[in-house]
Amino acid sequence: MNFEWTEEQQAFRRKIEDFLRANLPADWEAFSKHGPASPALTEFARGFCRQLAENGMLFPHWPKEVGGEGRGPWEQQILAEVMWEFGEPRGGQYMNVNWIGPTLMKYGTEAQKARYLPQIANGEMLWCQGFSEPDSGSDLASLRTRATLDGDVYRVNGQKIWTSYAGRADTCFLLTRTSDDRKRGITILLVPMDTPGITVRQIPSLIGEGDIHEVFFDDVVVPVSQRFGEEGQAWEIIGFSLTNERLGIPRYHLARAALDRAVAMLKDAGDFSLPTVRAEAARCAALCEAARTANHAIVQKRVDGLTVGPESSSARYATVMAERNVCEFIVEYVPEALAGGSDYLQMHHQRGIVAGIASGAAEIQLNIIAGDVLELPREPR
Amino acid sequence: MQLSLNEDQVQILDFIDSLAKPYATVPMHDISFALTSDELDGALVENGFLDVMAVEELGPVTAALVVERLARLPFAVEAAASSLVRPLIDPDLPRPLCLVQEGALRKPVRFLKAGATVVVVGESGVRSFTASEAQVRVAGDEVLYGYPVAFLNEVPGDARVHDVAADEVLRAWRVALAAEAAGLLAAALESVKTYVSERKQFGRPLATFQAMRHRLAEAQVVTNGVYWLALRAAGTGTAGDAALAALHAQEAAKRVGYDYHQFLGAMGMTLEHPLHLWTYRLKLLTAELGGRGAQALAAADAIWG
Repeated sequence: MNFEWTEEQQAFRRKIEDFLRANLPADWEAFSKHGPASPALTEFARGFCRQLAENGMLFPHWPKEVGGEGRGPWEQQILAEVMWEFGEPRGGQYMNVNWIGPTLMKYGTEAQKARYLPQIANGEMLWCQGFSEPDSGSDLASLRTRATLDGDVYRVNGQKIWTSYAGRADTCFLLTRTSDDRKRGITILLVPMDTPGITVRQIPSLIGEGDIHEVFFDDVVVPVSQRFGEEGQAWEIIGFSLTNERLGIPRYHLARAALDRAVAMLKDAGDFSLPTVRAEAARCAALCEAARTANHAIVQKRVDGLTVGPESSSARYATVMAERNVCEFIVEYVPEALAGGSDYLQMHHQRGIVAGIASGAAEIQLNIIAGDVLELPREPR
Repeated sequence: MQLSLNEDQVQILDFIDSLAKPYATVPMHDISFALTSDELDGALVENGFLDVMAVEELGPVTAALVVERLARLPFAVEAAASSLVRPLIDPDLPRPLCLVQEGALRKPVRFLKAGATVVVVGESGVRSFTASEAQVRVAGDEVLYGYPVAFLNEVPGDARVHDVAADEVLRAWRVALAAEAAGLLAAALESVKTYVSERKQFGRPLATFQAMRHRLAEAQVVTNGVYWLALRAAGTGTAGDAALAALHAQEAAKRVGYDYHQFLGAMGMTLEHPLHLWTYRLKLLTAELGGRGAQALAAADAIWG
């Protein structure tokens, strides 16, 4: 066991940090605080991701045959940590490289790979994730948006909600119901968002401009060639995707960076000598670092070629605790940060408060830990 | 970065498991507050398990793994101080090794008895002496902790002074504390898990009730965090990592201790059930080195100055 980064890994981290410092606009922090889904950041990201791609920083962990450098899971994690620390200049495109790309590579048809991978690789494409519905949040398998086969097309009717990025996305990774079998009746369709019959309505939110939406599907026609995987294969595919997504956002790293920033502000104000404040800051740091090591232990499993199982829920919950405590620390001791006093801490707060909800509620993670990590007897249904 | 166990580490932990197998369960009808075994202690020494830190290819992370594994036993073994702190002071100091903070003589000292080596750490540096009968005050039958403890009457003026910085010993002490707590937390969780999975009320195992499942799941998360922070602190050797690990360990111990006994109901109040053998060691560890607040301040000093 060795807890130090290799020189090569340190150099890789520095390369990305240096690139971001040199290439992000001078007013980046003010610009980025409105969230990765804001119209301004989405448009910025299209150009910036192309620049990242040209410099080998968009998907260095992808295999060489699809244009990556074949770097390992550690480099993928380092890349994700630095991007989040800098306020995610990839906007919603972080999803592309974390899970949409790898999922396409594993389950896509040759035509789908040929169509989408180059667009992702060029840093031009924004996806949204059509998962939650008004009556299907944590109980995702109860979703009802119906796709009915009609010759060589599906007709889609229904509604999605809480859909991030929908207002600006090019394509929706859409979960639909094709039969009544709870889990085996769900099918994925890749639906261009400019297809007639799709209506998107933004929902104003605490987490930033342009972040969450309702999406209505009114007799939307989708060719069968846009089906992703087989009919009824969605549950297996999203299981693979979500494992990648849960790891894909290193919130512990941004939380720690925000904590350090808050401490620096307190020091500047001469308010970091109080033992109560210092002790609380240390508690938050311990939670961040506990989450970091739990996440890194999972990255190691990927390095070793092992299947990542329910322990990813444990790491995720540790991350949620870190985020929550750092958010609370900042509100308690640096309240001016959320009233225009710090673009960076506002950016962190608006990303941080959603940690226990996005990519699966924290309570669902606890259910998974209880059932599959601790192997407690099942609750009656 | 390389976080999987290497072959040596897997082998050592396997050896420990087989050597400690006769001690993995509690003797029937034993109602002690603390369990110890001279045979187990002797076997660990004889096989060199408490000296792995000095072996170049093993080092402090392996020592922390050994301490964590041994702490899972219902028997209290003086392993943490000997394995992780003693090599910095003098690897030949006789065991058991009792760590004492300068000026904290009112507190019970784990494993203290006549003949034990006492190491006093504080502003006057790092000093050691062999405890005499007169220097040790036996605690008697009043001790509720899962360790054998006694009180120290005095620190003799002629204690041997060691050429090592007190801060460095405190750092290693924090790592030792965290590694031991990690094992205790894991074993206590396992013990509770077994009980609530078997005990039925309202026609179903207690563990099927979500009120309990979520709190146990949260306990798993913090236990896992303590394990990794302890190993990282052993590996990096930095003061900040050591303080964070000890802080998280003491926070975790405080958080789960009450819950675990609560979940066992009245059975958790008995000495028949072994749970207290882990939780009442954890309780004393929360008092070590000044408690959570002191670890937190040490961490803040190390990280932010």
